Amino acid sequence: MNNQVTNGASKSKRISKKPQYSRFTQQELPAWKPILTPGWVIASFLAIAFLFIPIGLVSLFASERVVEIVYRYDQDCVPEMYRGNVTAYIQNSLTNKTCVENITVPKKMDPPIFVYYQLDNFYQNHRRYVKSRSDKQLRSAAYEYSTKECEPKERVNTTPVTWVPIVPCGLIAWSLFNDTYNLIMEDKVLDINKKGIAWKSDKNVKFGSNVYPKNFQYGAPIGGGKLNESIPLSEQEDLMVWMRTAALPTFRKLYGKINTSLEAHDTITVVLQNNYNTYSFGGQKKLVLSTTTWIGGKNDFLGIAYLTVGGICLFMALNFILLYVFKPRPLGDPSYLSWNRKTVS
Amino acid sequence: MITTTNPPLLIHPLAFPSSNSGMSLDDAQIVNDSPQVGFVDLGSKRVSHGSRQGDVDSERFSISMSHREIDDGDARLVYVNDALKTNERFEFAGNSIRTAKYSVLTFLPRNLFEQFHRVAYIYFLIIAILNQLPQLAVFGRGASILPLSFVLLVTAVKDAYEDWRRHRSDRIENNRMSSVLVNDRFQQKKCKDIQVGEIIKFSADDIIPCDTVLLSTSDPTGVAYIQTINLDGESNLKTRYAKQETLSKVAEKDRIDGLIKCEKPNRNIYGFMATMEIDGKHLSLGPSNIVLRGCVLKNTNWAVGVAVYCGRETKAMLNSSGAPSKRSRLETRMNREIILLSVFLVGLCMAVSVCAGVWLKQHEDDLEILQFYRKKDYSEPVVENYNYSGVGMEIVFTFLMSVIVFQIMIPISLYISMELVRVGQAYFMIRDDKMYDETSKSRFQCRALNINEDLGQIKYVFSDKTGTLTENKMEFKYASIFGVDYSGEKTNFEGEQRGYYIQVNGQVWRPKMAVEVDKELLQLSKTGNNTKAGKQIYDFFLALAACNTIVPIVVDTSSPAEKLVDYQGESPDEQALVYAAAAYGFMLMERTSGHIVIDIQGERQRFNVLGMHEFDSDRKRMSVILGFADGSVKVIVKGADNSMFNIIDKSVNLDIIKATEDHLLSYSSIGLRTLVVGMRELGVPEFEQWQSSYETASTAVMGRVGLLRKVAINLETNLEIVGASAIEDRLQKGVPEAIESLRKANIKVWVLTGDKQETAISIAYSSKLLTSNMSQVVINSNSKISSKKSLEDALVSSGNFLVSDDQDAGGSDCNTSPPVALIIDGSSLVYILDTELEEQLFQLASNCAVVLCCRVAPLQKAGIVALIKKRTDAMTLAIGDGANDVSMIQMADVGIGISGQEGRQAVMASDFAMGQFRFLVPLLLVHGHWNYQRMGYMILYNFYRNAVFVLVLFWYVLFTGFTLTTAITEWSSVLYSILYTSVPTIVIAVLDKDLSRRSLMTYPQLYGAGHRQESYNSTLFWLTIADTLWQSIVVFYVPLFAYWKSDIDGPSLGDLWTLAVVFLVNIHLAMDVIRWTWLSHASIWGSIIATCICVIIIDVIPVLPGYWAIFELSSKGSFWICLLGIQIAALVPRFVIKMVIQHCKPSDIQIAREADKFGNSLELTGQEIEMNTSRR
Repeated sequence: MNNQVTNGASKSKRISKKPQYSRFTQQELPAWKPILTPGWVIASFLAIAFLFIPIGLVSLFASERVVEIVYRYDQDCVPEMYRGNVTAYIQNSLTNKTCVENITVPKKMDPPIFVYYQLDNFYQNHRRYVKSRSDKQLRSAAYEYSTKECEPKERVNTTPVTWVPIVPCGLIAWSLFNDTYNLIMEDKVLDINKKGIAWKSDKNVKFGSNVYPKNFQYGAPIGGGKLNESIPLSEQEDLMVWMRTAALPTFRKLYGKINTSLEAHDTITVVLQNNYNTYSFGGQKKLVLSTTTWIGGKNDFLGIAYLTVGGICLFMALNFILLYVFKPRPLGDPSYLSWNRKTVS
Repeated sequence: MITTTNPPLLIHPLAFPSSNSGMSLDDAQIVNDSPQVGFVDLGSKRVSHGSRQGDVDSERFSISMSHREIDDGDARLVYVNDALKTNERFEFAGNSIRTAKYSVLTFLPRNLFEQFHRVAYIYFLIIAILNQLPQLAVFGRGASILPLSFVLLVTAVKDAYEDWRRHRSDRIENNRMSSVLVNDRFQQKKCKDIQVGEIIKFSADDIIPCDTVLLSTSDPTGVAYIQTINLDGESNLKTRYAKQETLSKVAEKDRIDGLIKCEKPNRNIYGFMATMEIDGKHLSLGPSNIVLRGCVLKNTNWAVGVAVYCGRETKAMLNSSGAPSKRSRLETRMNREIILLSVFLVGLCMAVSVCAGVWLKQHEDDLEILQFYRKKDYSEPVVENYNYSGVGMEIVFTFLMSVIVFQIMIPISLYISMELVRVGQAYFMIRDDKMYDETSKSRFQCRALNINEDLGQIKYVFSDKTGTLTENKMEFKYASIFGVDYSGEKTNFEGEQRGYYIQVNGQVWRPKMAVEVDKELLQLSKTGNNTKAGKQIYDFFLALAACNTIVPIVVDTSSPAEKLVDYQGESPDEQALVYAAAAYGFMLMERTSGHIVIDIQGERQRFNVLGMHEFDSDRKRMSVILGFADGSVKVIVKGADNSMFNIIDKSVNLDIIKATEDHLLSYSSIGLRTLVVGMRELGVPEFEQWQSSYETASTAVMGRVGLLRKVAINLETNLEIVGASAIEDRLQKGVPEAIESLRKANIKVWVLTGDKQETAISIAYSSKLLTSNMSQVVINSNSKISSKKSLEDALVSSGNFLVSDDQDAGGSDCNTSPPVALIIDGSSLVYILDTELEEQLFQLASNCAVVLCCRVAPLQKAGIVALIKKRTDAMTLAIGDGANDVSMIQMADVGIGISGQEGRQAVMASDFAMGQFRFLVPLLLVHGHWNYQRMGYMILYNFYRNAVFVLVLFWYVLFTGFTLTTAITEWSSVLYSILYTSVPTIVIAVLDKDLSRRSLMTYPQLYGAGHRQESYNSTLFWLTIADTLWQSIVVFYVPLFAYWKSDIDGPSLGDLWTLAVVFLVNIHLAMDVIRWTWLSHASIWGSIIATCICVIIIDVIPVLPGYWAIFELSSKGSFWICLLGIQIAALVPRFVIKMVIQHCKPSDIQIAREADKFGNSLELTGQEIEMNTSRR
């Protein structure tokens, strides 16, 4: 009757009516109450084992099928005379960087054969590095000046105009990998197709077709490769690949694809330009030729991991079977209750 | 004194269970000793009626508080009918009230200010500010502020909604109209405009707008009836009095000038102290002269009063503050582990920063050349270091940045989740229809929202007796009249004859409550005054009907020809007696200050009330001086047995006295409350002598109460015994069963009561607290030395009974030794508590299965609770219903108030309130167990959930040159604890049930899980941490090895880690869910789906570096293989350990769950015991 009275004590009194019954308020919603009985435990271990062992085998098999040639050239390609002072060699633009080596194909390789370069100890995931890029600038010419995030490679003092933005700006683009490879087999040049090595999404959306390199690698120090200023960024696939920064300090990046098959014991002559400076940080450079399967490149890890997990589960299933046989416990046996144990003892 | 017997032992033949005429003698008189003076006046009975008595009444209050004489400096001066002058010097609050906290303008700053009182938010804020420094900017601006602003926004919206509702109710409240005297005429005025000093007139059923001192009422004797249900929940009518001196004044005509000097506003709704100066006279005012805001005027046509406290200074408003805050045991423990987590956090950050320092030192010369470092910035005219300030500073920056990156190691979201979960749990507790009290129509109330989980770990229950174990609804049972016991067969008029009734003006009046009557007695009572037995019965029931302070109120019923007589009074004992008298044909019809009308077997008789000596706790009796129609005068006295037998004339009727004593003994042994009635005819000289001294005493200015008491003592002598009544204070429904359940759950129930030892023991027997196989240890001592000796003896003897330690004492069916019950009284406790004897008492008490403390004062109750709290880790719970339980309720870890007969102070001080004692069983065994289990699991899960994510981030940092790059996008990092994983943990913690209600109620022993801290302990914490470490390693390193030397890019691998970790923590939770309702399914699988959607959304934003990564990633088989492998490999160890423990060392809960599922009983059959024994 006196609902309007504001008083802490009264409010609680006012609403005093029997709570309406519902399965929700009484916490009696229909529910599935699974209990892991010995049968279920064993069954789940076996299920995992029988799922994982085949997957592991298939993965391992797939990985085994991959043929991979890895050739480290950063040491070999430094001429003897410069071995003592590698930095001087690599930083001098006048030295001859051409290097010729032979590699042998161990097994038949079916096309497409992917040509990668692999860098070790290169922290493309370094905080300073990953942040030093402007995705806006890459996408559209309208954002040419949004280079704020590109420190410390933001703009450059050119003549006659001072302090113009670099396109593409930032450390990532600046350090573009610039070793080149030419493969020759039996005096014939093996065609390395450099189209289609970047993600389609990068070509279509992320890198603008109206954005042209400007003031790129202008003045010292020069970090890496140069870009053809007449080709829009959306066509510069090497840049796109490079700018997909690697997750880990040892990484490969796609250089191109070979669409002919290589037979076992074929010898390939690699003519490469050893331009990129990895010597300052003790990094390694490798050329990789690899086929792929559904699982990707050559990597036994997943297969072995699956086999291990599957094996452990199989082992656990056996253990549990033994446990349940030799030390059975009836489900819901009251003699295991703490208060019953106490009385009985 | 130590006795060791099996059945209850009565120590002294004259020591009858207590009985009293006060509403609760035991409680009230004890309160007298306590500092809570304010409550005295409620507890003890006000017998006064009419203005003269009102004076006596208020005088009593003022004298009882004379040591607190109002100091002029502290006083508030109210000039009656002169609001201007009143408010001139003092700034008294106006009557507009404002429960709303904010206005539109102040909302933002004030709400933010209040929110930042929490440590958690400060932590958020500091992290967010750190992140704004350019050196430390780990996250983008938006991502770093999002979590904080999200939490702030949610809380602000909630606060704003609540405040809007308060605004609305304030407006309604402030704009009510009331009639105020302006220029000698009563005018309607808005409630909010009332000022202190103004005279206000109320009509019947008006809500009083402010605290007012009554000046006059429509009743010629100045009585006003008010209902205080809004204030303290009591529904019976209370009487308030206007002063005789102001009674005759008519506000419109006589200009009332006066000055009221009263206390500063305070929140004691049962105390008021003031003096009024009017026409040169000094009057003292007490609580009976003031009506408080929120009360309703009833049965009174009008009343006029002067406002003394307005608006926020009214007692109702001062009392509307929230419940006291306690912190739960689990949370205290959790905070310890949070400190550990902060140590981990600092450790991780140190590791990262030191490694970063070493790396920088090693590469210091190359930093300029490194393509991925580039120390110098060539974009500026002056080539300077870019973001590099030397190795030392870099270490510091790295440390701070890693704090930002790893911030969720401290699970701040946990605090918010816990609050939400508690709200959810409270919702279910309030809505539980098994805790709804039909009789008082009250639901369970959660007044404190932060100790829900403590309910699952209670070890000691301290219970009040009256009103908690018993109903405090007195029912007349037996009578012993002149030595004849009438405790025969009862009839209750369910059939054609519905109790006694009388005809008044063609209407049928009947008592509101029917009482079962004794057939023989009823027959005899109808024979009238003629036979000897009839005369005796006449005297007895006349005494019952007359010697009390009950006010009969006639209530309309649905049929116009029938009216109900409702006996209003503050003492349930007296109500019971008057209803009993009415049932036997002695119906009290009318009471004014000067006379009473009693309808005796259809014949209306009028008696003059010549005087009344009200109940007090020293005399333990009350008396009334009645003038009969034939001119004779009798004094009728009613009181507690021991006080009455001292003043009864033992020279005559010795056999009757003896018989009565025997009857009282038998009544008390079945737990009835007894009262003895005596009577004496006064001769003319004696009457005149009494009258003159009574007049002198009641008009005395100083020491009125003491004088009156002396007069009473002189008068109450040489009485002739009339008889004794036995009233049953019935046990509440289900109390014995509840106590049995609690005992099985290994919860010790201690009863702390103000009652006498014998009553307490008999109630303990009937409530199955004491059983016949228990040995009793009784301690009643009157000095420190004897207490000490008693304790030592008791320790020795109790030690003899005990073979095993006290842990087993709770196991009811342990047959090794009889459990021991300790019975101790308040006077012994005086010498024990707060002295070195405490330790011995504690040891003794912990040896005992049951402890009964009788005659204890409220502060002693708190002292006993403190005794346990100080010495053990055990959780304590106090449950009570009266003002005398307040201190105990506040002292205990969990305080529960019974919303019963004795007002609401207990409820107001409590953390939880409920209608019946027996609800303690579902509350503790079911809700407490669930709450504890859910909260314990949630805390551990939240630690795990956040730590596993932080560790994944940490492992990656080791592969980035220690530079705190996160492969996981910053948006995913932020959303991780807000969206990806937050909902399921809350839903599961609110809804999951480890066991069904039925199992928990059937096997109270399952409650032991909380005692053993099974859901949260250091072992579990460290196991969780170890599990976390393993899982984070799997989540991180499986993709790392799978994609090592591959062309994977950062955002892709980040997406894989995000999805893997979110799937993992949700599946981890799913593994531990016990009951899968549709809500659990929806929240867990919904979170996973929501995460996928969010990851996709983040990856279709072209300006983020990870554009399209998820699609490229998921198009390769290795992604799916990784994702599946991570889940299984991460969870297998946990699964194995869980299954091994479940099989080899199953917890009680596990077994009960299996039994529940497969339908077998948990009782051991004989055969199983044998098997079990032989196996060992």
